[in-house]
Amino acid sequence: MNNLSDMIWIELRKAIRSRMPLWTALGSLFMPLGITFLIFVSKNPEISQKLGLISAKANLIAYSATDWQSYLGLFGLLIAAGGFILFVLIISWVFGREFSDGTVKDMLAVPVQRSSILLAKFIIVAAWSAALTIVILIAGLIMGAIINLPGGSLSIIFQGSALMVITACLTIVVVMPFALFASAGRGYLLPIGAAFLTLMMTNVVALAGWGEYFPWAVPGLYAQGKSSLALISFLIVFLTGLVGMIATYFWWKYADQSR
Amino acid sequence: MNLPIETEDLGKRYGDVRAVEHLSLRVAEGEIYAFLGLNGAGKTTTMRMLLGMIRPTTGYATVLQTRVRLGSREPWESVGYLVEMPHCYPELSVYENLEVARRLHPGVPREAVGRIIERLGLAAYVDRRAGNLSQGNAQRLGLAKALLHSPKLLFLDEPANGLDPAGIVEIRELLLELTREQGVTVFMCSHILAEVSRLAQRIGIIHNGRLLQELNVDELEQNRRRRLLLRARDIESAHRALIAAGQPAEILQDGTIELKSASSVERPDDINCLLVKAGTPPTQLMVEEEELEQYFLRLVGMDGGLQNE
Repeated sequence: MNNLSDMIWIELRKAIRSRMPLWTALGSLFMPLGITFLIFVSKNPEISQKLGLISAKANLIAYSATDWQSYLGLFGLLIAAGGFILFVLIISWVFGREFSDGTVKDMLAVPVQRSSILLAKFIIVAAWSAALTIVILIAGLIMGAIINLPGGSLSIIFQGSALMVITACLTIVVVMPFALFASAGRGYLLPIGAAFLTLMMTNVVALAGWGEYFPWAVPGLYAQGKSSLALISFLIVFLTGLVGMIATYFWWKYADQSR
Repeated sequence: MNLPIETEDLGKRYGDVRAVEHLSLRVAEGEIYAFLGLNGAGKTTTMRMLLGMIRPTTGYATVLQTRVRLGSREPWESVGYLVEMPHCYPELSVYENLEVARRLHPGVPREAVGRIIERLGLAAYVDRRAGNLSQGNAQRLGLAKALLHSPKLLFLDEPANGLDPAGIVEIRELLLELTREQGVTVFMCSHILAEVSRLAQRIGIIHNGRLLQELNVDELEQNRRRRLLLRARDIESAHRALIAAGQPAEILQDGTIELKSASSVERPDDINCLLVKAGTPPTQLMVEEEELEQYFLRLVGMDGGLQNE
């Protein structure tokens, strides 16, 4: 794997100068801010009465996040759904922008292995998504402390944080195949459309009881603390990510690049 | 003989559409070879096949003695290219775009970026975001990326695109210098015959995916049709005198006499003497050469052109 560090430098520079990391970080902050706002609303009936419909949602959230453990569990679920969409946006941008900006052709007839170019992109996607997870986690912990959630011991907070981080890792892995959609679709539309379709399918499959065999449902099930998740579920997640990366590599290596 | 570019029966089909077919090319070292054709003739498809971006459906290509294969990292170390529009990362500066290109060519020293910026006249725009460049400067940046690693072989698609007249001359001089002094081979695509005739040594004319003709620039001059146009006070008498002297002449609608024979075009002075002796001296005598564009359109069968014998 030659020149990987140079390829990572290229991807990092493109990402930083685009200001996309900043926008996605700001976007990700809406998750912890939104949740704590709703909990705050439900805890304050005088505000709750003025807000009508929002107060109903607020009560729903507040009932499911009454202490630190359930609050952090809610964040896990948030990563599995909202984080999934956010990570797909990132992978769509990292891969799809080369096609929508027409810059892909400058990466094709070069003396660098295609695998190095692609691996650098996958590394940036994973690192970027992980960094956003950390931002969400830290913001969540701070907001939780501000609204003075009960039941917070060091081990509960650590366990809740670990649950959320592992859910994020699983989500990052199942996002990898969307690089193929961004490449074959030569832009952003196909992967983002596919992400929403996947999210809908996840709900249907999970309702039918087959969620543990559907890779995109596994992070959500894990966040819910499903102890029934067997090794096979994690294996399916791992294989999905791997197959997505390998398929993307083959597409970049062997598909005609006529645009 | 080392041929930097060689193709054998190269072809590409998209379903029923034959984008390129039966293309056998030989481009010699240090040569500027221009591939000339109308839009959609198959120029860019050919260039992309030569660069390993599109898999040919028939035949093969070798570039710098290496068989071109999709997704391979050879022989691109010594190849520079600018295909179609000069795309770049709009949020990166001119310098950063070139730094990206440098890192995609391992072993190219950092100083190469500064050198190419100076050479392409981009020094004033080094820190400008590439997305804010004018079309001409974006073209310069595209050329800078192609030339950054001092390639032995250059593929350039419409290199003069977007440049002002001074820029066109500057790039032409640069390419001629590279071929003369460093033996760089250039394969360029264009649809402007007048431009390529000033630059290329050899021209391949492609139409509907087929190579119609390959010719040297001096052959191009010979192949262009010429005619002698003359006027006289008494056109009818002058015409009769020419016919009587065995010169196939024709009176055009505007009252000009047209002669297309090789003897009349090559020796208009003889025609002048003939008419003076016949008592109808010409008031105007002019050898007209077929315009390059007209010649090109005649070749591809899209123009009546000048009808020579």
